[in-house]
Amino acid sequence: MQQFANPTRFLAIANKALPLIWVLTIILFAIGLYGALVTAPPDYQQGETVRIMFVHVPAAWLAMLVYTVMALASAVAIIFRHPLADVAAKSAAPIGAVFCFLALATGSLWGKPMWGAWWVWDARLTSMFVLFLLYVGYIAIWQAIEEPGRAAMIARIVALVGFINIPVIKFSVDWWNTLHQPASVLRMDGSTIDWSIRWPLLVLGLAYTLLFLALHLMSMRSEIAARKLRNLQIARSGEA
Amino acid sequence: MDWNADHAGFVTAAYALSLVLVAGLIMYVFNRDARIRKRLAQFEKAKK
Repeated sequence: MQQFANPTRFLAIANKALPLIWVLTIILFAIGLYGALVTAPPDYQQGETVRIMFVHVPAAWLAMLVYTVMALASAVAIIFRHPLADVAAKSAAPIGAVFCFLALATGSLWGKPMWGAWWVWDARLTSMFVLFLLYVGYIAIWQAIEEPGRAAMIARIVALVGFINIPVIKFSVDWWNTLHQPASVLRMDGSTIDWSIRWPLLVLGLAYTLLFLALHLMSMRSEIAARKLRNLQIARSGEA
Repeated sequence: MDWNADHAGFVTAAYALSLVLVAGLIMYVFNRDARIRKRLAQFEKAKK
């Protein structure tokens, strides 16, 4: 991991990888959306409404994955003092917040026709909403605290403490009685979804993951440039 | 996809919202990346 600690080396690798990641992302989105809107059959109970799953579930997966990346990067920043770890965590937060909002909003659009309500305070929805608040709080820390070192320290702690919410989201449907359905893809005893519906979901899940990877690498590149620019400006003001 | 089925409007709304938010996020990241790297290049050029 230390070999990527050099920002120059990281930028060289990111710049080479980005075009390929974007091409793969576009191809996977095209295949996944074709499967989701054309080949996947309507559900015998939910009818066409089940197609909301193909945008809702990957967004929810990514909201949790991105927060996990932030927590891991924060732990790496504390333990190894890796110079890019804070950059990785900070850059991931706005992307994760958008995925989290998307999961909440599309879930609401799915809930209204299926449950008869836009929103219910059940364990899964509430813990997902808490995740969104954690994202907003994490971003606010970086915006509100001017001294970067202090902001980084507080943000790391928030990311690590907030990580407790990730297993709560995952297992909320098992631990409590919820209106939200239990897990049907990532299960110990295998998926309960038919392959004709499962493959577009998995392809779109991979497409969302690659989209995150591409946006994250670009955001990290921007953040490295922003930090370099700030250091140069400080150095120049010191010379003057 | 039967666009005339019951509740098809909810499906359309979910996909439209996803498209708008994802496109907005991509534009934000691209614009920010281009803006900051341009400023850095200008600053380094002015320094030389």
